[in-house]
Parts: sequence; C-alpha cells; structure tokens
Amino acid sequence: MTREAPVIMLVDDDLDFLEINRHVLEARGYRILCFSDPEKALEGLALEKPDLVITDLMMNRLDSGFSLSQRIKDDSRFGDIPVVIVTAIGSRRGFDLSPRTPEDFAAMHAEAYFEKPLEPEALLAKVEEIVERRVEEGLT
Amino acid sequence: MSDEAPRILVVDDELGMREGCRKVLASEGYEVQTAQDGLAALEFYTKPGDFAGALIDLKMPRMGGIELIERIREYDEDAVLLVITAYATIQTAVEATKLGADGYVPKPFTPDELLVPLRSNLEKRALSIETRTLREEREKRLLELSFERSKSRTIIDCMTDGVLVVNRDRQIVLRNDAATRIVSDCAYAPALAAPLTALECAPLREFLEEVLDAGSAPAIVSKEIALGKYVYMVNASRVVEPNGEILGAVTVLRDITALKKLETAKSMFVSMVAHEVKNPLAAIEGYLNVILSGLAGEDPHRDRQMMRRALVRARTLRTMISELLNLTALETGNFVMKRSPVDLDEIVAEAVESCREEATKKEIELSFKCNGEIEQVLADRKAMLSVCINLIDNAIKYTHDKGHVGVRVDRDSLYAKVTVCDDGIGMTEEEKGKAFEEFFRAKNQYTASVPGTGLGLSLVKHLVDMHQGRVTVETSPGKGSSFTVYLPVLDYARGT
Repeated sequence: MTREAPVIMLVDDDLDFLEINRHVLEARGYRILCFSDPEKALEGLALEKPDLVITDLMMNRLDSGFSLSQRIKDDSRFGDIPVVIVTAIGSRRGFDLSPRTPEDFAAMHAEAYFEKPLEPEALLAKVEEIVERRVEEGLT
Repeated sequence: MSDEAPRILVVDDELGMREGCRKVLASEGYEVQTAQDGLAALEFYTKPGDFAGALIDLKMPRMGGIELIERIREYDEDAVLLVITAYATIQTAVEATKLGADGYVPKPFTPDELLVPLRSNLEKRALSIETRTLREEREKRLLELSFERSKSRTIIDCMTDGVLVVNRDRQIVLRNDAATRIVSDCAYAPALAAPLTALECAPLREFLEEVLDAGSAPAIVSKEIALGKYVYMVNASRVVEPNGEILGAVTVLRDITALKKLETAKSMFVSMVAHEVKNPLAAIEGYLNVILSGLAGEDPHRDRQMMRRALVRARTLRTMISELLNLTALETGNFVMKRSPVDLDEIVAEAVESCREEATKKEIELSFKCNGEIEQVLADRKAMLSVCINLIDNAIKYTHDKGHVGVRVDRDSLYAKVTVCDDGIGMTEEEKGKAFEEFFRAKNQYTASVPGTGLGLSLVKHLVDMHQGRVTVETSPGKGSSFTVYLPVLDYARGT
C-alpha cells in the first residue's frame, strides 16, 4: 500500500476484543484506534477521523452501540463513516436484534452486523470490502 | 314405635278393675302395667313416652286421678289419658278432660266400650307424634339447608379465585367477591342477572361467549387473559344436560400475574447467563483463532501474551459458573448451611490474609481492625468467609494502585458489623441501586480491565440474608465505597 494506511476505530468495553481485532487488523496494515468507552470514542472521532468504526452494542448501556452509530450518522462531519456492529447480544430479553433486511441495517446505521464469537476472516473480508469500496468512491 | 306393643298403664285402686282391664288389653296385644294409685303410677314412669296411654280412676287413695292426670300431662303431652269412672263422678270426669284427659269411659263398661276410645285415641296420638316428628325434621332440614347454602356461599366468596357463573340466557347468575374485584378492575361489575353483554371486560366477555357458542367443543376451555395489569388463567367449563343442551358455564379466574412475572424473570435470567457466558468464551475463541490462523503474523512473544489473556478469561468463566451454581443452590434451598457459633473477628482476619497477596500486587494498603472483643455469631463458617473475601476482593479490584482498603469488625447494639471500605472508584447512585443484582457490573473505563462475573455481590447478599443479617453500601464516585455486613450476635445480653 503506497497510500497512507486506512484508519479503523475499534469500540468495545471488552479489552480482549480490542486486543484480538487490533492484532488481526494491524497485521493487514490498518492503523487502529481503540476505545473502551463510547463517549471517549466520540471525542476521538474529532481528533482523527477514521475510515471505519467497528463497535460493540452493549457497553455502559444496552443501546450504547446504537446511540454511537446514530450520533456518528447524525454528525455532518462523520456521517459518511461506515459502522460495523459486532455484538454478543444477538438476541436478548426476548428481542432479536439481528438485522435481516436492508431497512434493519439502515435503522441501525450499520453497514454490517456480526455476532460474537466471529471468525476473524469474516470481519477482515468485510473490512476490506468496505475500505476498497471507499477507495473506489474516492472517499479515502 | 308401631313395631312394639303399645304400653298401657292401668291405675285403679280396685284390684278387680285393674285385672279386668289387664285381661282385656292384653288379649288385644297391649302390654299392660297396673298401679293401685297415682303415686304408684308415677313410679313406673322413667321418661316421657314410657306409656302410650293410661286408664285412670279418679278416686284413689294417696294421689287421685285428677292430680295424676295433671302430673302426667306436664311430663308427657302425647300420652292418651282416659278416665275410667263411675257415673257418680261424671261431672268430675268432664273436669278431668278439661285438665288434659283425652276422654272418659263410664264404669261399668264392656271391653269394646273401653277399647274403641282407647284405639282411636292411640291412633290420634301416633298421628300427632308422626306429624310433629316430620315437622321437626323438616325444620331441621330447612335450617341445615340454609346453613349449607350460606356455607357454600361463604366458601365460594372466600375463594381467592374468581368464580363467575353464566346461565343459558347469558345472564350472570353468580359472582363471588374475588370475581367482583377482578371484573371491577377493568370496568364496573354488572349486577346479578345482568346480561353478559353488560360485562365491560371485553376479553373476558368474548371468551365466555365463545365458550357458550362452542357447541360440541371440549367442555373445559382455558385461556390466559390480561385484565388491566393482572394476568388471569380463565378456566371455563360448560354445564351440559345429558341431551346436549348447554345450561351455562362456570368460570374460574385465577390470578397468575406473579407466575408470569417469574416466568419472564426466569427467561431473562437464562438469556443473561447465556450472554455473560458467551462473552468470555468469544474472547477465548478469538485469541485462539488469531494465534492458530496466523492472521496477526508470527510473534511467539505476543502469542504467549494472548494465551495468558485467554487463560484469565477462562478462569473468570469458571469462577462465574461456580458462583452461578452456588447462587442457584442458595435460591433453590439446596445449599446446606452448617451454622455454629463462630468468632467473626477470626473469620474476617482469615479473609483479610487470603486477600493480602492481591493487595500487595497493587501496592494497596490493606488494614484490619477489630474492637478487641470477640464477636460471636451463629454462622456457616465457609459462607461467612466467602462473604468477607468477596467484599475485600471487590474493594481491592475497584481501588487504584497504592490506594487503601480498610476492614473493621465492631458492634452495633444487637449486631456485629463487618465494614470493608476503600478509597477506590466508587459507584454512581444508579450503579449503587443495582450493585446486588445478578450480573450487574458497573461499566466504565476502569472496570473494563477488571475481570469479574457480576455475581459476587448477589452471592454476598444471599448468604447474609440467610444469616438473618443485612448488607448495606455507601459510595461516592471517585471517592470510594464502604460495604457493611450486619449479623445478629449470639450474646444479645451484652448489646443491651
């Protein structure tokens, strides 16, 4: 890669997930910003705009991942940053959160949705697809 | 009564008359007793009804007929009392009749002249006794019936389940107190005999109409119906005549709100457990995946680091599972407590020592103070030790390096007090409220790096509850927390 390495922001309150995904993504040449607190992640966005945000759903609150993606979408500076949701709460308390239709994804403001545990290859493939598309669109 | 020969008492001071009557009566199948005067006659009486009748002469020594009739009448209103008397005293005989005699037979008389009035009077007596017995029985039955009715009504009204009966004309014909309460929860309770359509609880009314319309469907139909904030299991059974005609329906409404809540709580707990187990497992799997796939490149040093992290998560998972089992054992009552008098100071000291190493690692000053007096409590030693270790371990976990954790045992009236306080991260008001809930873990930047199951404090609470104690917490974010366990002391006397 001759261009500058794409930047990926990881948000998860589980430090091990940050660690695992950081290693996998760094090995592919991405630069990684890790946050365990969604509030801090929002502050981080202003300091350095990433090409992609990968976030957990339930952190301090059940919906903190949703509100993070919502706030990214609603902010004119960051609205174009794609968000990937990775969570262990696929279905909880009787609510099945996993999106099925494009509308579901739109409602979640998410490009993709993964349930933990997930194959690193699957996440990598998705990340590469999104980053490549953005390069083609000339956004990066 | 009619099976036995009627007993007749013959009272006359003339032996000839007595014996003559005896012969006549005996030949007719009566059992005869004779007496020579009123006093002698009374001696034969042991209870009313001893004699079906008596033939009484008026003029007798010691006690005459008039007095005897009065005495017998007082005693036995049914006895047939016939005066046998000479013409000379007919006037007196009429008097006697007024006093209670049933008739008189003038002497001398033929056997038939005696037997005819006797028989007819005996028949009258039998009839009047029978009538009275029947009347008494009827009154008794009526009384019993009304008692039974009010008893059944009382029983039905006392039932905690609502009972609602609808007849074939779709009128509400019975409604117990519980049903009235249930129905008026969602609308006013229609009066008895009101049509079913007056019932404003739509789900209940529709269900009842369905049951009555159902034709040959099963005789008993059940449905869960939510009325207001309550949920009822409604069981309706149709009352059907042998010819298949539906006479109405008896409906029982049982409040299953608590049960439904329990059901929801249970499934929530199960999904919570699944979630909490999934997280560490996913982390372990993630590490192994990265190491084995080589996706992050080859670096033996980093791989070892990852494996160590995976090990930490595996251990947390194991702890969680054993805590979960303990908690379940406590909740289902399968946990056997062996309570005996124990020295609380000694248990707390042991707990402090077993946490010493963790504290040293973080350079936390761990202090222990007791008031010098031995506080004895009735407790399960192991359980109490795990309560103390849990609290101290928590304090160390949520206190920054080089902080302070203080453990103290003292006395508060009838309670021994164990206080574990720290100058750690503390909790917000919201976190404090949930601190003892299962799987609750305060989520912030600090706690993210602290391994924990979210079960420790709920275990502590359960165990303390089982010791008739209580556990309280005072906390302030950034300033620290102080947990206090109160346990009833053994020697109450010293506290007062």
